[in-house]
Amino acid sequence: MERIIEASPDRDRGPALCAACPARIPTDALTGLVDRSAFRARLEVALAGWQPDTPSPAVLMVDLDRFKAVNDTLGHPAGDALLRIAAKRLRAAVRSEDLAARLGGDEFAVLLAAPVSLEAAAKVAERLVELLGRPYMVQGQAASVGASIGLAFAEADCSTVDALIGRADMAMYQAKADGRGRVGFFSPMLQERAELRRQTEQDLRAALPLGQLELFYQPQYELALGQLSGFEALLRWRHPLRGLVPPDDFIPLAEEIRLISSLGEWVLRTACTEAARWPGTMSVAVNVAAQQFESNRLVGIVAAALQGAGLPGSRLELEITESALLNDPGGSVTAQLTALKAMGVAISLDDFGTGYSSLSQLRSFPFDRVKIDRSFVDDVAVVRAIAAMGASMGMRTTAEGVETAMQLKNLRREGCHEVQGYLLGRPLPASAIPDTLARQFVEATLLKEDT
Amino acid sequence: MTISPNLVRLVYVSRNLVPSAEREAAVMAILGASRRRNPAMGVTGALLFSEDCFAQSLEGPMAAVEALYEHILLDERHDQVVLLEAAPVSQRDFGDWSMAFAGHCTQATLRFDTLVATPLDSSRRVLDVLRGAVGRAAKVLA
Repeated sequence: MERIIEASPDRDRGPALCAACPARIPTDALTGLVDRSAFRARLEVALAGWQPDTPSPAVLMVDLDRFKAVNDTLGHPAGDALLRIAAKRLRAAVRSEDLAARLGGDEFAVLLAAPVSLEAAAKVAERLVELLGRPYMVQGQAASVGASIGLAFAEADCSTVDALIGRADMAMYQAKADGRGRVGFFSPMLQERAELRRQTEQDLRAALPLGQLELFYQPQYELALGQLSGFEALLRWRHPLRGLVPPDDFIPLAEEIRLISSLGEWVLRTACTEAARWPGTMSVAVNVAAQQFESNRLVGIVAAALQGAGLPGSRLELEITESALLNDPGGSVTAQLTALKAMGVAISLDDFGTGYSSLSQLRSFPFDRVKIDRSFVDDVAVVRAIAAMGASMGMRTTAEGVETAMQLKNLRREGCHEVQGYLLGRPLPASAIPDTLARQFVEATLLKEDT
Repeated sequence: MTISPNLVRLVYVSRNLVPSAEREAAVMAILGASRRRNPAMGVTGALLFSEDCFAQSLEGPMAAVEALYEHILLDERHDQVVLLEAAPVSQRDFGDWSMAFAGHCTQATLRFDTLVATPLDSSRRVLDVLRGAVGRAAKVLA
């Protein structure tokens, strides 16, 4: 087939940066496209020649989807060959006055240097997504990747190289988040979201030193004896401007920025100190994130927290989710859990039923307890199955999120050992615990009357 | 054609965008271009078209087939190119043809949607149709 849409892909469409200095344009050795520094220099020129309130240059950030899989399965030489072909397709699809660049890795960019309309720029971007997503033949084999593209225009408040590239990047990440293989458009909302995230990240890093973190404690009840058995410690962030920030708004972020281990260490120390004030055998349950196992320091941290608080190990329970065990090829997590168990600490598997709910994982360690996720509290069949499984494997079961007397009744009937939820008690600040301890017999009556 | 150590075969199917009235002329143009260009590249192959698709097999040295495929990919007379097969082979199927023409196929199994649903089976089916058609043509010409 002969007739080619725009131009032969083989025709060299190298950039003409400036007629007077044709010699040394920095190019990317692999693809022959200009490199990051040349792209930035050319963008600088385009922005310098642009007047606000006139049609503006645009930047497309192009990131290949699933490129790593090509490297992993076909090898790096095949990956490099694919990048060379992708570069040719890019060059074939842009006008001679535009500039295609490889910024690094599988990241490309296109500068639409001459002013274009939104529609025209979007059309170029859509076409690139389509072209780059067509199947590749590399080293005699078929390979496929996709492309996510972010599009941003120069504007009065975005007329520097960094600002424009930053906006196009934001749009590209949005395209990835929206499912890849598509064009993302910069919008002020994206900027607001990115700024909020950046601000939250900065505030979160300061939260611990500034004393903005608190633990709340949710009561847990033992059904057979009908009495308070302990509390689960829950992390809360009291932001000076935003008030109490919900855990879902900061714990995933803390994991992402790898702050969770230092927060977790503080939680352990604080919870143990608090629990040491409680009477008898009352226990405290503390959530431990997967990252806390990575440095191999967890056992020492827990031992120090127990010792510092004077709390016996048997009154501490650590809750881990399946994700902590998922990536444990060397058995390091299991080894740490075994050492913790040897200190008398109980280990429970949290949120069971929402993840892989893998039986082999349940068997990989002798958990003391399985916690049934709150989303199943109304599903009698699931509760029954997990409780029976727990019983036959010698594990206790706790149901979370109990809100009605009916749920409580069902959970008791299906053989759950412990329950927690708003019906029996919301998470409380440490200062409210003495009151709850005094009232525990009232609640015990509620539990008994239920039968 | 001798067996080359880096001989590969590629089979693709794509959606035919040429209006039916212009189809014959388009196919003739494609074949003419292929026959001019392919011998120098050491590429041989066969082409068929159906109501809604093109299917083509290209065989030759790896680098030549890759370059030709990239060239074909950008042709505006088709889109939704699906690679049914790309693999090293020990011999050519269409060694005597710079681009054999298997003609206009009307079987329901050669519709685009059917072909892309099961790439490996389709590759075999397309190759069978191409080989069959080319075999018959060879007899007529002999």
